Amino acid sequence: MKKTKKIVATLMAATMVLASLSACSAKTEPVKEETKVVEDTKEEKAEEVAEVKEVVLDANTVIPVIAKGFQHQFWQAVKQGSEEAAAKYGIKVDFQGPESESAIPEQVRFLDAAINQAPVAICLASLDTEASLESIKNAKEAGIPIIGFDSGVPGAPEGAIKANAATDNVAAGAKAAEELHKLISEKLADPAESVRIGVVSQEANSQSIVDRTSGFINKMIELVGEDKVSVIGHDKFNKKNDAAKVILEVGIPANVKDDEAAAVASAIMNKEDLVAIYGSNEFAANAIINANETLEILGADKVIGVGFDAGKKQKQAVKDGILVGSITQDPVQIGFKAVELAVMAAKGEEVSDIDTGSRWYTAENMEDAEIAPLLYD
Amino acid sequence: MLDRLKKIFSNQQTVVVIALVAICIAFSLMTDKFMKPTTFTDIAKYSYYVAFMAIGVTFVIATGGIDLSIGTVAMCTALIGGVLMEKGVNMFIVMLVMLVIGSLFGLLNGLMVSKLGLPAFIATLGTMMVSRGLGSIVSNVKSISFPQGDAVGSWYREIFMITKKGGVLAKNFPTGFILLVIAAIIMALVLNKTRIGRYILSIGSNKEATRLSGINVQKFETLAYVFSGFFAALAGIAYVAVFTTVLPNSGNGFELDAIAAVVIGGTSLAGGIASIFGTVIGVFIMTVLKVGFPYIGVQPHYQLFITGIILIFAVYMDILNRRRK
Repeated sequence: MKKTKKIVATLMAATMVLASLSACSAKTEPVKEETKVVEDTKEEKAEEVAEVKEVVLDANTVIPVIAKGFQHQFWQAVKQGSEEAAAKYGIKVDFQGPESESAIPEQVRFLDAAINQAPVAICLASLDTEASLESIKNAKEAGIPIIGFDSGVPGAPEGAIKANAATDNVAAGAKAAEELHKLISEKLADPAESVRIGVVSQEANSQSIVDRTSGFINKMIELVGEDKVSVIGHDKFNKKNDAAKVILEVGIPANVKDDEAAAVASAIMNKEDLVAIYGSNEFAANAIINANETLEILGADKVIGVGFDAGKKQKQAVKDGILVGSITQDPVQIGFKAVELAVMAAKGEEVSDIDTGSRWYTAENMEDAEIAPLLYD
Repeated sequence: MLDRLKKIFSNQQTVVVIALVAICIAFSLMTDKFMKPTTFTDIAKYSYYVAFMAIGVTFVIATGGIDLSIGTVAMCTALIGGVLMEKGVNMFIVMLVMLVIGSLFGLLNGLMVSKLGLPAFIATLGTMMVSRGLGSIVSNVKSISFPQGDAVGSWYREIFMITKKGGVLAKNFPTGFILLVIAAIIMALVLNKTRIGRYILSIGSNKEATRLSGINVQKFETLAYVFSGFFAALAGIAYVAVFTTVLPNSGNGFELDAIAAVVIGGTSLAGGIASIFGTVIGVFIMTVLKVGFPYIGVQPHYQLFITGIILIFAVYMDILNRRRK
């Protein structure tokens, strides 16, 4: 019996080693097979490039695009954009993302492997700049330009990141506040009783989410009047003003779980003076929609709900009028611009940050040709 | 008088019921929003998936083992079910398939622990990773939205909560609560009144003695894990009925909520002592805290802090009681 156990244990260990070895090499293959190549502009570009720099960009050029994950449809849309840019410039991209947005070491391995292949440029949305520091320095020394996208590579050493293609999340959050303000401005102008606006946020750590939340809050304060607004609910955003009649209440769940987030939204939505509620990403918007299933207080003539990003549930809610509208990023543009900047940087051209923008969508314009592709499922 | 009080508190199940009532009273005093029917609906809705996982894992913990895979198995079966549903498979069949897949994962766990002799922590940790990856593989790393509103197949949601107006039962009626009570009663009977339950508890109490008495330890230990897998799948169904969307790669951390509830309810991690009733009350304590804290304005970082203290305190009370006996 003991001998069998030993054999089984050795076999399992050997299988694990073999599996991990084969997984390593197999990883890049499937992604490469998916990218398409269009050859029309290739020759013109090659000549242009030969004059500017020694770098030749052709069908064999592969630019690694390392994202934060694959989990959300958002990244699939970014991938689509990167492949469109690849087709336009006659090159290939290798889109990679770790299995989850907390798998930092895995992303660092992707980055190292990418650097080892000496590409002409790399696109990176770093999960943790600190953890990737060594790799980023190596890339810098090897002369490989890095283009940041989405949340980019905050805190990277000087000159390592040539430019960023991302949504200006502060501006996007501010846009949500502007659109909402248009709808409820009479209620906010010197109310007799207190008036409440809810702000539900997935968490208070990730830069993109914090930017969208504070962008919304600060714009709302600007539109209503600095001394007329009180912000409560979370130490990070608090700006208490007991005399103010307009209250911005922030709600953040203890864990990123659907039930806890819905409970937080419910707590805010139970307050009688609530006139509007905003969720700063898909998760938060879903929490608001879930809470509303029980309470049923959202609607154009009731409490105004505003969301962010897309996803099937949120899109349905906007279509049904539960959410009056939402802000969407342009993930396709993020992927596209990132690769475009990478191509420019590879050729030695000047590059600078690009705000890929945000759009406000409602039940009326959701199906429009320029909005629909941005709304992933 | 003191003796009588001691006697009441010596039973962990009594302690947790008193604790639950006390917490509810405390919240109601601090805010008038707590005692609304909609709040009860919410507490019920959010408790289902944790409750089903907790009922299933109670059996595993009763054998002295542990099952870390319940959260990811729940989500994996939900994703697989979702893929089938998107291909047009009937919702009823989808749910059956989910339950079968959950049970298969349970069977895998059970065989690894009882036949191969792997420590439960490691075996179920492995299954946790496998099921997490499998869910992403099958769904092609896409999130899946289950039918809601007027879509085909959305009837399954009514098993857990009435979403539509004008039917026999009022909207928001927590039908899932009835399902939960039935499941809890059945499983409590299995645990306490049948041979299966008796043997499972015996294995947890003293595995070697049970084996020497001629009982097929491997069979019953495996059965406990199959229960756990089955209920994890049921939890997956409850989850999508309430939240309608499931993300690939999720489920991590759900198991800790369930296990905490089980332990608060008086089931011993060492095995041999278990209570389904205690588990269900434990789940409600955790859910009431989750729902109530935001109502009284406790910030997330404080919520985590306080919940942790309550967990430690609850388990310590249980251990004190056991020592006294």
